[in-house]
Amino acid sequence: MKRLLYLTLVFGLVPIQTTVLSHVSVGGIRPDLCLVAAILVGFFTGVREGFLLGLAMGFVQDLFSAGVLWLNLVTKGSVGFLGGVAGRYVANATTLTALAGILGLSLMSGTVFLLTVGPAGFRDASFAVRAVLLPQAMWDAALGAGLYWLLAKRVRRQRAILEGPTGLGSLIR
Amino acid sequence: MFRSTSGTRRVTLVLVALLLSALLVLPTQSQRLLQHIGVPLAPIVTLPIEALAALDRSLRDMWEGYVALHEVHEENLRLRREIELLQHQNGRLQEAASASQRLTALLEFKGRARSQTVAAQVIGRETTNWYRAVVVNKGDVDGVRVEMGVITPAGVVGRVVKTTRSASMVLLVTDPNNAITGLIQRTRDEGIVEGTAQGLARVKYLPLLSTVRAGDRVVTSGLTGGFPRGLPIGVITSIDKMEGDLFQSGDIVPDADLTRLEEVVIITAPREEADWDAASLQTQPPQQRKP
Repeated sequence: MKRLLYLTLVFGLVPIQTTVLSHVSVGGIRPDLCLVAAILVGFFTGVREGFLLGLAMGFVQDLFSAGVLWLNLVTKGSVGFLGGVAGRYVANATTLTALAGILGLSLMSGTVFLLTVGPAGFRDASFAVRAVLLPQAMWDAALGAGLYWLLAKRVRRQRAILEGPTGLGSLIR
Repeated sequence: MFRSTSGTRRVTLVLVALLLSALLVLPTQSQRLLQHIGVPLAPIVTLPIEALAALDRSLRDMWEGYVALHEVHEENLRLRREIELLQHQNGRLQEAASASQRLTALLEFKGRARSQTVAAQVIGRETTNWYRAVVVNKGDVDGVRVEMGVITPAGVVGRVVKTTRSASMVLLVTDPNNAITGLIQRTRDEGIVEGTAQGLARVKYLPLLSTVRAGDRVVTSGLTGGFPRGLPIGVITSIDKMEGDLFQSGDIVPDADLTRLEEVVIITAPREEADWDAASLQTQPPQQRKP
């Protein structure tokens, strides 16, 4: 089941990103589904899965991007890894924490893009920050926080069921 | 899914870290390696992209043909149903007529063009917000290669920057990473056409003594890239001539409407006969822009 979900994420998110997602763009800026997915998978399942899934999604994204073939691979792998680190060390995470964390990681990933694309392209760095980096980070954070809220609710419910009279909750810790 | 011993885990992470370091240290070699790895993966993603693009198109048609017209039909239930039906049919027919018109123009254009070309459909947009590019449904198997020029009957669209077996990425002329050699049609001065961060294009390095002015047309010079001479790029809207500068530059509005691309033509062999009928291209009505 988990494998199927990961395969769907790897091969399904990029088609959505390239086609229907343009309908929800604000000022031409769309959220980065792969980035949000890598962070959340890392946060909920651990460093390794976040990292490897981030690498896989980033690579597929690179195949359908005009940029170099390693940029998304490296950035998505890194944010998946950092999402996992956050999941391990952040106690009592809330939706607000998730919003701030995803905002930070999206800004970090965007800065790598800006530094890589910058010398050839966006010479006016402040324009790129205002027009792409910040709006995308806000989009990613809003979407990620919404998804975090839904997932956290689901995880809490599952934990409550397992922690009932049988005390099986320890299994998913 | 990733259950393993801690030793295996460490080895895996070290190997992945080494791979990532190699990507950064050897960018050219790693590009080739990644390209090879991507060959079997790309078609798996291209199929859902094409399916979603088709679904998206049909949903848009439904929206335009049905929902948008729904507000008009408030007076009478019977008339509303009748009109709705007729309008729905009309919408579909109009869409079919419009597609047929576009494809006819494309076919005529292909016939006039003496270079070898391949018609392609735009199936998606760039996956990140950092490049202005589109995905088209023609790739390696159709003879598409990197650096080939992409056009519509209205003018230059961009150039191919990446190909997979069945799809290609086209970097638009408005992307700051794109550069095409251009020619001012009236004065015959040459310059470099680049995209701007604001999503327009700009012709740079024009001679200081050139009499270029707003309203002048810019066409491809045919000197570099995958374009023959004389293809329309756009119209100059303003000229920057600063005191002390060695060159002048001008802002361009591209002739092709790059926000609503549906079908394009890829020039697969531009250099066979570079004498395109530029005059007949000028007589083509520009691609209609919706408000």
